[in-house]
Amino acid sequence: MPSVTHTASVATAALAGAVEAQKERLLPCVHCGFCLPACPTYTRLGNEADSPRGRLHLMKAVVEGRLDAGSEAFRTHIDRCLGCRACEPVCPSGVEYGTLLELARHTATSKVPPGWLTRGLLAVMASPFLRGALFLGGRVLRVTGLAALGAKLVPALGPLRNARLGLAMLAATSPWRPPGRTSGSAAAQPMVPAGSRPTVAVLVGCVQEGLYSRVNDATIRTLVANGFEVVPVAGQDCCGALHAHGGDLERARSLARRNLDVFTAAGVELVVVNTAGCGAAMKDYDALLEDDEAYAERAKDFAARVRDATEILAEVGPRPGAPIQTSVAYDHPCHLLHAQRIEQAPLDVLAAVPELDVRVIANASECCGGAGIYGLTHPDLGGRIGGDKVRSVRAAGADAACTPNPGCMMQIGAGLRLEGAREGVVHPVELLDESYRRAGFYNGADG
Amino acid sequence: MSVVTSLGDVLPAEALSGAEGGALARVARGAEAVVRPRSPEEVVDAVRWASANGVGVLPVGTGGRTTPARGDGPFMVLAMDRLSGLEIYEPADVTLTAKAGTPLADIEATLAEHRQWLPFDPPQVSSRTLGGLVATGESGPVATAYGELRNHVLGATVVCGDGRVLRLGGRVVKNVAGFDLLRPLVGSRGRLGVVTSVCLRAFPVPAKDRVLLLRSDDFAGLEAAARAVRTAPTLPASVVLWVRPTSQGAALLVRLHGAELTVDADQATLERRAGVSFARADSELVAEVRDDATDAPVVVTLSVLPSRLFEALGAARDLLGHSSVVADAYSGTARIALAEVDTDTVRALRDTIEEMGGALAVEAPDEGPEVRAAGSRPSDAETGVSTRLQEVFDPSGVFWPCRA
Amino acid sequence: MNTPLETRIVRALNAIVGPDHVVTDPERLVVYESDGLTSYRVIPLAVVLPATTEEVAAVVKLLHGEGIPVVPRGAGTGLSGGALPSADGVVVGTARMNRILEIDSDNRIARLQPGVVNAHLTVAAKPYSLYYAPDPSSQSTCTLGGNVAENSGGPHCLKYGVTQRYVTGLTVVLPSGEVIRLGGAGRSARGALDLVGLFVGSEGCFGIATEIEVKLLPVTEGVRTLLGIFETMEAAGHAVTAIISEGLLPAAVEIVDNATIRAVEASVYAGGFPVDAGAALVIEFDGTEAGLDADADRAEACCRQAGASEVKRATEATQRAALWNGRKKAFGAMGRIAPDLLVQDATVPRTRLPEVLARITEIGERYELKVANVFHAGDGNLHPNILFDRNDPDELDRVERASKEIMCLCVEVGGTITGEHGVGVDKRGYMQLVLGEVEIEAMRAVKRIFDPSGLFNPGKVLPDPASPPVPAEASA
Repeated sequence: MPSVTHTASVATAALAGAVEAQKERLLPCVHCGFCLPACPTYTRLGNEADSPRGRLHLMKAVVEGRLDAGSEAFRTHIDRCLGCRACEPVCPSGVEYGTLLELARHTATSKVPPGWLTRGLLAVMASPFLRGALFLGGRVLRVTGLAALGAKLVPALGPLRNARLGLAMLAATSPWRPPGRTSGSAAAQPMVPAGSRPTVAVLVGCVQEGLYSRVNDATIRTLVANGFEVVPVAGQDCCGALHAHGGDLERARSLARRNLDVFTAAGVELVVVNTAGCGAAMKDYDALLEDDEAYAERAKDFAARVRDATEILAEVGPRPGAPIQTSVAYDHPCHLLHAQRIEQAPLDVLAAVPELDVRVIANASECCGGAGIYGLTHPDLGGRIGGDKVRSVRAAGADAACTPNPGCMMQIGAGLRLEGAREGVVHPVELLDESYRRAGFYNGADG
Repeated sequence: MSVVTSLGDVLPAEALSGAEGGALARVARGAEAVVRPRSPEEVVDAVRWASANGVGVLPVGTGGRTTPARGDGPFMVLAMDRLSGLEIYEPADVTLTAKAGTPLADIEATLAEHRQWLPFDPPQVSSRTLGGLVATGESGPVATAYGELRNHVLGATVVCGDGRVLRLGGRVVKNVAGFDLLRPLVGSRGRLGVVTSVCLRAFPVPAKDRVLLLRSDDFAGLEAAARAVRTAPTLPASVVLWVRPTSQGAALLVRLHGAELTVDADQATLERRAGVSFARADSELVAEVRDDATDAPVVVTLSVLPSRLFEALGAARDLLGHSSVVADAYSGTARIALAEVDTDTVRALRDTIEEMGGALAVEAPDEGPEVRAAGSRPSDAETGVSTRLQEVFDPSGVFWPCRA
Repeated sequence: MNTPLETRIVRALNAIVGPDHVVTDPERLVVYESDGLTSYRVIPLAVVLPATTEEVAAVVKLLHGEGIPVVPRGAGTGLSGGALPSADGVVVGTARMNRILEIDSDNRIARLQPGVVNAHLTVAAKPYSLYYAPDPSSQSTCTLGGNVAENSGGPHCLKYGVTQRYVTGLTVVLPSGEVIRLGGAGRSARGALDLVGLFVGSEGCFGIATEIEVKLLPVTEGVRTLLGIFETMEAAGHAVTAIISEGLLPAAVEIVDNATIRAVEASVYAGGFPVDAGAALVIEFDGTEAGLDADADRAEACCRQAGASEVKRATEATQRAALWNGRKKAFGAMGRIAPDLLVQDATVPRTRLPEVLARITEIGERYELKVANVFHAGDGNLHPNILFDRNDPDELDRVERASKEIMCLCVEVGGTITGEHGVGVDKRGYMQLVLGEVEIEAMRAVKRIFDPSGLFNPGKVLPDPASPPVPAEASA
């Protein structure tokens, strides 16, 4: 019987422990293939090495010593995964694909470091100073309109196309204002007494803080308007999602420990996250830190306290604000739908905005191709996947795209912008916030 | 009669009685012998003998649906009518196995005792034998709801041209053990072998068998009604268009099967969609229509996509004149009875139908071979595979007399 | 161990389909070493992923000319090893041929490429209130090309029949690379032999279907789904016989046993099956809304007479969907309760179900093996799944012996060795149980019609004592 034993000698000895130690997580995969049609890379490329089942098989081959974790094949296909985890909800055996992917990336990158772009971005995100500088520059480009202009002028092909996409993403972070104005007519709604609901903290985030601070503000305002007490937590850091997805588990763990410490010290009951990717990562802190004796138990407790902003608002049934007469094309972020299994909550939040016309786009459960920095690291495939998403958004014929995750907002926004489309991009909580503002809920209050 | 003498060496005299009039006599015209085997072994002996002596074999059920032998050279008629009787019938399995010569009427009677039936209604179904039904592969229009005969033949025993006996399929309703040689056998009209035993899936008799009737002279109106019925959300048992050659006009017959409540609701749905109200008809009319347009000197069969059936029938009427037509409006097949036909007309109609993506066949036992040959042909590729399939089943070409 | 494909051939393949769609690197080929049956592993020389009929034809012709075996592959979800690669061969995958070419709602037919996922066809037909009837449990991922090759069934084929009933035409790339068209809706009067029917179920041994024409059915107006709870499998088996004898024609009758229920209920596809039930029957009626309740009442009475402790009705679409999801994902969910799973597939006459189930239980006990049953009871199509750990050589041996005993039992009562999963490599050794040498030889001869040089999916379906298949665990 043929085999790939020639790779075994290379791999076995050198294999870093991460995937090996997790082989119990690999065993439930019975190779049934139910994940194939859910996978955006497989449905586009048709190669099983670019499917969840194929990647798991590659991981198994590494564990069995048949494949070198540093091999170009392993690195390429593991790297090409969007990490959208659309395969998880369809897996009958409950394979924890997302966790395995991070471990596989860790194993692969510990043998062969990733490209400069990935390494650079991860280093910047882990440093409050560096990312502060980066986002400051970004905001300057955005405010001056240079980002939008650059996205228009830089050619779509050639060496600068990544820069073009980056500029377009930056430009796409500009706020979108729905049409209409303050009505003030919804004030008849009973106020929810301040502090009548749990004390919460809001994750400020890295990209979120740098480019979407308005969403953070909106989150705090809407939570307060719904009776939550929001406690500011100083010293919090990037959640580490980008690092974990990139296979830099050490940095991810260190960020997780820091966040765990500061949020725990703040004594809040729940931690609210308005970024699907960060929420998913923080809900997985228990898996990330399961081998850390000092943190394993605390991580479990902490993970159970993490809520997506739409999740917590939907749980209490957000009070309705003033009408906004506009339409939005809603798209599910993968890390909300697949990783956190939250489908209805954002729609419930939007339903609290009277007269808002919400259209869930076709294939809303498929990844937009943003996937962290995927659009930059895999411009071709990411572009194809993103192009399909933009088509679906535009087919909905709404005024704006709406999705509760900054990565998706940037990806979809950039795609729309590069096509010269007029649709804006907005976070559901922003719309709720605007609805509250128009209703006059914030009159006389801060913010 | 030297042929019979030497045949007598391999078969007992009882197996060699001649044809006593009727359909059998018609197909036995010109035959060297008529063999009526009483066991599968005798079938094997007869076929082996024929193969060894260069005599063709024309397998026949009752002979009623067999196209008489054509071509040159000696042939024998292998009449299967004595190989008759149920072999296995377990009502709770809703399957039955019977010898090929068993009259369908007998099978129907036995099944009826257990409120079961065979959902096939080709012309003269009750006077056919089981083997004959399988050889023609004709399901009749109730295939609309029940699927075609070939989907319900679960197993068969076949005697090949060199006397090999193949036991194909089995007696369970799902079976994918090996390549499906049963499928090309059903409807092969004796081209591959003689079936000696068949296992079929049966069905429970529906509580109600309601026949809806819409008579009209308005062809366009009938077309609209037929379209409304065949594209309705409910699947009728059959949708048959019946055109009479005289001034009696045409009719649409729709059969609905199911519980009374169900057929009531289905009728209401169809009437609403078609914007008509149906009269009721009885099973005698169903049988009359079923058997119409078969007993004619020339029968033209055509098939098109159902959406183009009426267009095809219009073209046929233009070329052939008014005649009896029975059409399955759901599948898009029709047979047209004619007193006579000439080759050029058939060719012209064939070309028209083929342009519409359909096909046409002619049965005209009394006409010259060029008329029959004017019908549609399978593609060269299909003919190639079919020829080689015949070589597998019948290496020496014993079953030649029924080949077109 | 195998001579890699010559550069010249790789270059020619690249020229046909583009280098992105040719895989020759052994490290990448690993992912193609198995289909849904992982006990067999063979790494091919290459995988080629063409996008059109022309590309398939050119690839196949090239390989034919070079004398290189070809193994067709759809989604690789088969459970008999039908898509197991040949070590000296090339896998031709249809994953990129996933376009629905036409839905002709007026004539209720669809034309599509072989890589279209079964369930996607039904989704595409939905706006026309039509659907594609055969619904194998893997329908959310398996492809129509694979369904054609395997003549796939599914729960609802009890009433609606298997794939063969729905395929009306095929474009086939023959093993020589020649492209032929078989059948075609509206062309029945041409009087050809049913070659489409012959091709369907040929398990990739006769060629690759590159375009498929199928019949669609109208979406039924109403549906009633019942869940019957039983203490034993035998009682559930009796209920099935009673329902069929009653003259009812359910769309589906499925059995799940306790082991399966527990696996499913632990998964994301928890369907609401009571975890302490000995067996559960899912019975479904569909059709015109009026009259369905009467059928459901009669079926319920049959269940109660057979000893059902409870009969529930799924009153909402979500409940029904949950039950079916639980049923259809059962195979995958077994991954939770045992490292390895032997999925069996055999059919018996429906009246023999209670007896056969009792004897399967007895065989499982005798070999000290856990057997989980989940199957199409209405058709008598059994799937006794044996749970095991292949790292335990003694257990593996018992699995093989028990499996063979179950096969022999099914044949003994008048059944067959595979109802819907196909023979592939896995059942070749059992073929002589149901077919004699004369039938097998006839099948070999028919295979030669399509594939005279024997290069297409070699070593599948027909027993060939000269080169028996080697299961992975045997060679490990």
